[in-house]
Amino acid sequence: MATVVKIVNRPAGWKRRSYLWGTMQGLGVTFGHLMRNWPRNLLGRRAQSDIVTLAYPEEKRPYPPRNRGLHRLMKRADGQVRCVACMMCPTACPAHCISIVPEESEDPRIEKRPRVFQIDELRCVVCGLCVEACPCDAIRMDTGIHAPPSTRRADAILDKEELLSRGELSVAVQAGEGLFWRERK
Amino acid sequence: MAGDRQAPPGPRANVKMVIDGQPHEFPAGLTILEACQRVGIVVPFFCWHPGLSAPAVCRQCLVEIKGFPKPIPSCYTPVADKMEISTNSPKVLDVRRQMLEFTLLNHPIDCPICDKAGECMLQKHYFDWDARFARNDGSKVRKAKVVDLGRHIVLDQERCILCTRCIRVCNEVARQADLVMAFRGDRQLLTVAPGRRLDNPYSLNTVDVCPVGALTAKDFRFSMRAWELWATPSVCPGCATGCNIEIHSARDVIRRLIPRPNPAVNKYWMCDEGRLTYRRVHQDRLVAPMVAGAPASWDAALGEAARLLASARDKSPSTLGVVLSTQMTNEDLFAFTRLAAEHLRTERVYLAGAPEGWCDDILVSADKNPNTTGAKLIGGLTLRTATDLKQDLETGVLTALLLVGEADAVGSLGSLQSLVVLTSHQGAPVAAAQVALPLAMWAEVDGSFTNRQGKVQRLHAAITPAGQARPGWAIAARLGQALGAAWRYANAKQVFSEACEKIMLMSGADWGKPEIPVQLRFANSRG
Repeated sequence: MATVVKIVNRPAGWKRRSYLWGTMQGLGVTFGHLMRNWPRNLLGRRAQSDIVTLAYPEEKRPYPPRNRGLHRLMKRADGQVRCVACMMCPTACPAHCISIVPEESEDPRIEKRPRVFQIDELRCVVCGLCVEACPCDAIRMDTGIHAPPSTRRADAILDKEELLSRGELSVAVQAGEGLFWRERK
Repeated sequence: MAGDRQAPPGPRANVKMVIDGQPHEFPAGLTILEACQRVGIVVPFFCWHPGLSAPAVCRQCLVEIKGFPKPIPSCYTPVADKMEISTNSPKVLDVRRQMLEFTLLNHPIDCPICDKAGECMLQKHYFDWDARFARNDGSKVRKAKVVDLGRHIVLDQERCILCTRCIRVCNEVARQADLVMAFRGDRQLLTVAPGRRLDNPYSLNTVDVCPVGALTAKDFRFSMRAWELWATPSVCPGCATGCNIEIHSARDVIRRLIPRPNPAVNKYWMCDEGRLTYRRVHQDRLVAPMVAGAPASWDAALGEAARLLASARDKSPSTLGVVLSTQMTNEDLFAFTRLAAEHLRTERVYLAGAPEGWCDDILVSADKNPNTTGAKLIGGLTLRTATDLKQDLETGVLTALLLVGEADAVGSLGSLQSLVVLTSHQGAPVAAAQVALPLAMWAEVDGSFTNRQGKVQRLHAAITPAGQARPGWAIAARLGQALGAAWRYANAKQVFSEACEKIMLMSGADWGKPEIPVQLRFANSRG
């Protein structure tokens, strides 16, 4: 196929040939926005201005109310982890981000507990299925804390201690605690 | 075995009967439950087990028989001519639910921490036949949670549904009355017989047959949930019996071995010792080829091994020995026998293996090697014994040795000029060898063992080999190529087919269909 050369002549007239007029027109648009928004901003009526950007990090856009945030592990009354290592959450997890190594507890009423409980927050897709699956109210995603930035992948893997550090006492009744639940009225 | 009901002698007539409105014909002597299973009709049960006697204690398999005033346990009642049975009438479904409710009355619903969850018969029957909320508001009868019954077993008395399967396993399979029931009614509990412990060599079978999570193995307890495991059919490498097993593994770690029913070999059982053979797969493995005690690449190690063997062969083939192990698969043995005959040109092929151990007349055989029969078939009559090897090492007849597989009975290796070792484990031979090559183990390879009955049984790879370990036949083929062989093998099946062609006593053996690991998540109850 033969190469076709199309010759585009430079536009005629100094206005278009110097691009000066076009530049002035563009600056005029910018200046117009400035004139419209600057006084409103000064008077504290930013909402009425055309400005859509935020002055991050001084200003932050609030997260929606259903934001989940980092996981946490809830505690029993004596501060022990509520989790019984039943493996419901890693089974339900679509991202395979939870790894649990169970161990036997000396307390015969607890029997089983996690020795290792790790969540890879880089893999987590924040779907909340682990919370849905948990039969013990042991894992929650209600901290609202955004996953912190890290320079190493290993830093994004939260271990049991870190997950427990945000944990609180859960009032949900767990098996082995006192009487049958229907008698606890 | 004691659990089998032997058919009465003499000619047996067939009986004609009706199940759920459909006419069927069965041989006499069958129970109704077995008859239903034959035609694919599901009747739930807890206490019945195909390998054990039927005491009909759980009453879960009740069916209606026309003309009988009450529902009848189908596991206990033989089929009879002109019988009309209903397995799905409203009355049967109702008593089925009632029995299930009765069983669940004092069952602690602690499925989240129960090892059996996911393969539990009670869970399955509940979801299949009941699936309603409990009507019982009262508190449950509490019993002991962690009862140490023996070397391998922990009992949770609350979870026990009193089906007596474990008692019958002890009585009928292990022939030791270790377990008994104590007390009556809702206080009834399973316990060891006075003055005894559950220490018989078949005690872990009680964990398999337990329909719920009452009996748990100390070895497996709380380590895994059933649905995380992948099951691969294989054969136990513990002794010459060759019990059929399922390897349960997760993420390349074997977690337990359970017996796979085979009426001709192990029925439904295997011994405790065999179940723990998997531990060695993950212990002290040789993970990389070693040349003069330092890790090397496969190419370098194979080249060095071939050089050593070739120089010994060229000097004098009669001073070069090859030691094969009865722990190896048929494929490995065949490939190495071929290598020894065609390319090392030595007649000094020895057969070694693990020393003899204890045995009984149930399953355990004294020969602790899984493939002695196969090795003798493949090696032929010229094979020398471990005693010969010891003698030849002592007298200094041998100057070079190719040691393949695990062999405990090998004598002192100090007098050798060159030693090439293929093994799966660290140890004295590896330390003494010029070249050590890592060998994949039975759970990591496709292959076959020939058991003491002469049955050729398939192994399937359940996990990937440790480190850089490779199957023996593949190493033999590479060594052969380095020594100038024209033959090469692409997979174990090729080696097996060739072995079946060339070895008369193996002809007709079937490689079988390929099996891949199945996740137990989709495998339902194993009870």
